[in-house]
Amino acid sequence: MNPLLGSRAALGTYLLGWIPIGGLLVFVALGQHWRLVEALVFTAPLCLGGAFLFLSSWYLCKALPLRTATLGSHGVAWILAALIMANLWAGGGLALAWALGQVPMLSGIYFKARVAGSFLVAVGAVVYLAVLTLHYLMDAVARGKLSEAREAEFRILAQDAELRALRAQLNPHFLFNSLNSISALTTLDPAKARGMCILLSDFLRGSLRLGEKKLVSLAEEVDLLKSYLAIEQIRFGSRLQVQWEIDPRTQAEPIPALLLQPLVENAIKHGIAGLTEGGVVRIAARRLGPVLEVQVENPVDEDTPVVHGLGLGLRQVRSRLQMRFGERMRFEAGVVDGQHRVHMVFPAETPDVPTPDEVQK
Amino acid sequence: MSERVYTAIIVDDEDLARAVVQEHLAGHPEITVVASCGNGFEAVKAAAEHKPDLLFLDIQMPKLTGFEVLELLDPQPTVVFITAYDQHALKAFEVHAVDYLLKPFNAERFEEALVRAKARCDQGQPMGPQPMELSAAARSDWPLDRLVVKDGTKVTLIPLARLDYVQAQDDYVLLKTPEKSHLKQQTISNLETRLDPKRFLRIHRSFIIQLDRLARLEQTPSESWVAVLQDGTRLPVSKSGYARLKSVLDAGAV
Repeated sequence: MNPLLGSRAALGTYLLGWIPIGGLLVFVALGQHWRLVEALVFTAPLCLGGAFLFLSSWYLCKALPLRTATLGSHGVAWILAALIMANLWAGGGLALAWALGQVPMLSGIYFKARVAGSFLVAVGAVVYLAVLTLHYLMDAVARGKLSEAREAEFRILAQDAELRALRAQLNPHFLFNSLNSISALTTLDPAKARGMCILLSDFLRGSLRLGEKKLVSLAEEVDLLKSYLAIEQIRFGSRLQVQWEIDPRTQAEPIPALLLQPLVENAIKHGIAGLTEGGVVRIAARRLGPVLEVQVENPVDEDTPVVHGLGLGLRQVRSRLQMRFGERMRFEAGVVDGQHRVHMVFPAETPDVPTPDEVQK
Repeated sequence: MSERVYTAIIVDDEDLARAVVQEHLAGHPEITVVASCGNGFEAVKAAAEHKPDLLFLDIQMPKLTGFEVLELLDPQPTVVFITAYDQHALKAFEVHAVDYLLKPFNAERFEEALVRAKARCDQGQPMGPQPMELSAAARSDWPLDRLVVKDGTKVTLIPLARLDYVQAQDDYVLLKTPEKSHLKQQTISNLETRLDPKRFLRIHRSFIIQLDRLARLEQTPSESWVAVLQDGTRLPVSKSGYARLKSVLDAGAV
């Protein structure tokens, strides 16, 4: 529905806006030797009718949004609509004058109105275009409010994700299981037990440091993932293998801190941990011209019921990317042929310099 | 000290976690570890073969969870759960576990569990629950999305989506899937309580159907109803079953 009809205050303000138009018409009419009473009884209903007739420009505003505007296409439509509506209005005015002319006291009014016909069409067209502009303005304001609300929603989701990422470093089950591995190693292989204590410290320290920043380089995030996976490799033994495919040109690329950590954690928790034989977690990042492509892939057990839709962790990763890149990113996740794959593409920010190898070639 | 020897099986998907238990047991010559298993399937097989007195059982494992393993064992061994998760403790005691160790645990705590476990074994009676009880306990916090069935030593997982209907056969249920039928030791009433009532409906004393398999209802000359499934199977519908079916179908039609 037309937003002006939605609120009494808005409609009142809009109608008040027609008073100067009516005043102008009366003023011109008096100049053309209309009697005051004639000018008033003609102009008042004419303006009221026009006010409601021109509200129809809202449909035009909806049909031809400014986003898709080209002066050629939209301009022609606007002017055509203005002319049609102005003629309708002026025609209505003439009908009104004819009806008023039936009253003996106002018998001259129809003739005077016919003389003013083309003037009315011109005024109508200008006023119609003004009302149309008003609708476009209101639409833009409403749209702005909506996108503000959407942005706030993204921000909340992204902040949630940041909190969760911070908590992930203190994932209690990860810690308990790691401590249990250390407890086993203390007698079996004391040197390895010490090694695992150090890996665990490295990981905790690293995630605290990264958690404090908004953006980190991809290389920093990869280092953190490496210490995380080294710990899980001690726990899962030969069941967990890791395949890295990190394009050196992506190393310096800034990404939201702890963006990949929850994806790799999911790959272990919902992938490797559910497989008797384990499998390979593949982490790949490469530069494709102006964009960066990052993938995390892991096998999943086919007997485990497939969960439809994105889990909370994946939704949060997506909203963090959305927060940072808006529409200029792509995020896909799903299972194909027993492999769960998360695929992300987003704009790169560092210049695309060829690697030394490529220069030599 | 009793002279008795106890057999034990250790089940955990992590090598190191099994090693810890093994190490704690090394100081106990009265305990013989007959098997060490890395997943639920192996555990079910080993338990069927060795019929151990004791089971040290992890919960979160590939293929079968610890609870599912327990559901398939007959006779029930004395069970000590060992896990990093404390949220399963209540359920562990519902299935009559003798103890619940949280990883990592110390030697004293392990000894305590072992003393209890041995005492339970010495009592001689099978303290483990009947499968029926076990399943009732499992209902509390384990939303059922699949059924586990053991046929000899072979364990089969049946996702509920594959289940067409269930037929009661004394103390057993016949689980009908498009490929084949599986027999499981459980009463139909007990199974009914574990199934999602939005998907499964008891249409007769002896039958539960998956609702989306129902093609149509037919009336016989003797005025009773028959449910016809999509694969053409015809199953009897009791009076109360018809009333339940009708209320679900009416609600669904809105």
